[in-house]
Parts: sequence; structure tokens; C-alpha cells
Amino acid sequence: MPINLWHENRVLGDFVQELEKKVVKIIKKKKANFPESFIQDITEAAKRHELTDKELTELVGQIKKAYERAKVEDGEAVGTVAAQSVGEPGTQMTMRTFHYAGVAELNVTLGLPRLIEIVDARKKISTPTMAIFFEEEFRSDEEFVRKMANKIGKSTMKDIIKDFNINYAEMNVIVELNLEKIEDKRLDYDDIIARIEKAFKRVHIDNNILSFEPTTSNIRELRLLADKIRDLQISGVKNIGKVVIRKEEEEWVIHTEGSNLGTVLKMEGIDKVRTTTNDIHEIEKVLGIEAARNAIIHEAQRTMEEQGLTVDVRHIMLVADMMTADGKVKSIGRHGISGEKASVLARASFEETGKHLLRASIRGEIDHLTGIIENIIIGQPIPLGTGSVGVVMKQKK
Amino acid sequence: MTSKLTRFEKARIIGARALQLSMGAKPLVKVPESLDPIDIATLELKKKVIPLDIRK
Repeated sequence: MPINLWHENRVLGDFVQELEKKVVKIIKKKKANFPESFIQDITEAAKRHELTDKELTELVGQIKKAYERAKVEDGEAVGTVAAQSVGEPGTQMTMRTFHYAGVAELNVTLGLPRLIEIVDARKKISTPTMAIFFEEEFRSDEEFVRKMANKIGKSTMKDIIKDFNINYAEMNVIVELNLEKIEDKRLDYDDIIARIEKAFKRVHIDNNILSFEPTTSNIRELRLLADKIRDLQISGVKNIGKVVIRKEEEEWVIHTEGSNLGTVLKMEGIDKVRTTTNDIHEIEKVLGIEAARNAIIHEAQRTMEEQGLTVDVRHIMLVADMMTADGKVKSIGRHGISGEKASVLARASFEETGKHLLRASIRGEIDHLTGIIENIIIGQPIPLGTGSVGVVMKQKK
Repeated sequence: MTSKLTRFEKARIIGARALQLSMGAKPLVKVPESLDPIDIATLELKKKVIPLDIRK
């Protein structure tokens, strides 16, 4: 960088820093409690429009007003509103699976089935998939990405076979390896041989001609052996199947069928920030509960958007917060949140009424009638909205 | 009543005060043209003279 430009940048940096300090000061004076991003946005705006101090103060004041107006008040039925806001668009979702364009297709569950999967916090999702990104220096390196794709994606013997013969007369299977294909897939010959030797005891290796013998000499065994040889996995990460390499806006990205975030993140050259999976439980296991919360929000919103439906994030955030508030991902419904409520009456009113009432009576459970449902059942005003406010006579001073 | 009241708190206070007024409590403001206890309670709240507190 030339000196004068460097100097200019430094001066500009100083200016922005000073401006930011000023913004923070004004915000403090206005007693506003803004998130970090607001401070940056305001600074940016002040710089762009060259605001005077007076204008800046006015701006902060107006933002504060709007910010406070956007907050929900105590006693607002946010849960009910969230349920309706997600539920109504949910009725419009079509049962449709989306296919990636291109020759090699990847199937990903979307639409209503996917949304149900997220909310139910399924352990085994129907189509786990990963999007693997690379660090800056490898992003446009096709050779490197292809090598990684073959390391990650599953390859079996049948992908690298040139010739395959079952010899019934000599009771053996003769396999000729296709060295070109091995080269093309960037696999290691010695690695493959090691794997084959580990999997099959009775194998004779002569360069790229392999002959296998069954343990007991009969035709049935021989045929089983042939299938076993063809399906032997010679490379790939556990739980990951097919991979698709695509160029997305000047960078190479690998999409996978199946998912194994833990192993992939440990590999060299992987962008650990952007590489992701759609398996929420895996994210929880590898990256923790906050990441899982973000994943729920992200996945739910993406699923809705793909169907052309927009739901305010705050509704989805509430759902995600409820699902992760305990430090582990819980489902909504019988086995999760609704089934773990403290109140007997609340649980009984959801599902399996008899079971809950019987158990509660055996254990002698006490219901403190603090929730909404309990008070509806016994016919009292509910603690929500106006009902959540207590009124007392003012103490005489 | 230090901070701003929520709309629920407002409604609850006006309601409670209007009930008191309707049962004969003395208004703490000059009664306006309307004799509706709710109008009187609303005015009282505006002038911050209602002898009621919010308990959360």
C-alpha cells in the first residue's frame, strides 16, 4: 500500500473511531440501551450524511422512540401470537421436495415435512446435508476442492473397477483396478490396498489385479463375496454419501448427502465459520446450544422462505428460545415442552389427559394455578394482559 | 408509577378506579362535562392523582 493512501486510511479510521465515541456518548446521554449493531449503523449513517451534532442527537432520539415502540409490553401474549404467525403460513405449505439443478441431484426435505422435523427436534432427520466452504486461499482452487470432495464423499470399489469377473471354475473373484479412475478421484493406491487387505483376509494382490477367495468354497459364498467386494468403501467420511461440487459466485462449495460436522471441521482448508449442516442435533453436539438455537432459527426461516412465506424472525426466535432454554434441544409437543410443564392441569389439557391425572393423583402433585390453562379450567381470570396486573391502594406517606 | 405504564396496566388502573368512582368515591380532579366514571378515571390517570399502585 502506498504511503499516502495508508495515511489517508489511518486518518479515516481515526475519524470513524472518534465519531463512534461521539455516538456512544449521545446514546448514553439519551439513556438509550441499544444493541451493538445500532451503534455501528448510526455511526455509518452519521458519516455518510455528514450529520451535525444537533442532527445526530435528534437521530438518536428518534431511533430510541422507534426502538421502544417496537418492544413488546409486559403481559403481551407473545406465545399465542407466535403460534398463529407460524401456524397460518404453515397451512399454505405444499408437500414438495426440492431438487438441486444439475446432473447430480441432491434431495433435500423441504416444506411442511421439514418444518415438522425442526419443531419435533428429530434425532434422525430424513435428509441430512452439509454445505462445506473453504478458507480464502482454497476458495477458487478447483484442484484442491476436488481432492477434498473425494476425501469427504463416499467411494466404493465399484467406482474404481475396470474389470470384474466371478470365476466359478476356480472359485475366486478377479478384480482389475482402474488406475486412471483412482488418479481421477485423487485417491491413494496404497491406501486402497490397505483397506482391501483389512477387509478381506483371503486376497492375492498383484499390482492392479486382485483375486479374492471365499472363506468356504461354495457358489453362494462366492456370490456374497462378490457383492461385498463391490460395496467395500474405500474412502469418505463416516455418514456422508454423495457429494456435489458447485461453483457459487466465484467460489467452490461442496454439498453433501449425509452429514458429519465434527469430522469435516477438523479437516484442513475448511472454512470453520461458514461450513454448516442442517442437522440441529449435530450442531448442538459439536458447537453447543447457542449454535443450535441459531440453527433452528435459520433452518425454520429458510424453510418458510423457500415456500415464499415470510414470518417475522422474532416469532421463530421465540420458538427456538423455548426449545433450547434448558441447555439441550427439546421438541415442542408430547415429549418436549408441553409434556414437561410443571402444572398437572396444563399437561392434562394437552394430550394423554387420563395418564397425567392418574399419575398426579398417585404422586400427590400440587398445582399452584399460576399458568394460563389452569386458570381457564377452574374459571378464573387468566394471568395475561390486563389479568397479569395487580392493583393495590397507594400507601399513605 | 415511575416508569411508563403498559397498555394493560393503564386499562387495569382506569378500570379499578372507575369502579370506585361508580360506587361513590370522590373524584380527585375537577369533574369534566362527562359524568362517565371511565372518563373521570382517565382524566385522573392523566393528572397522576389516582391513589392506586401496580403490583407486579
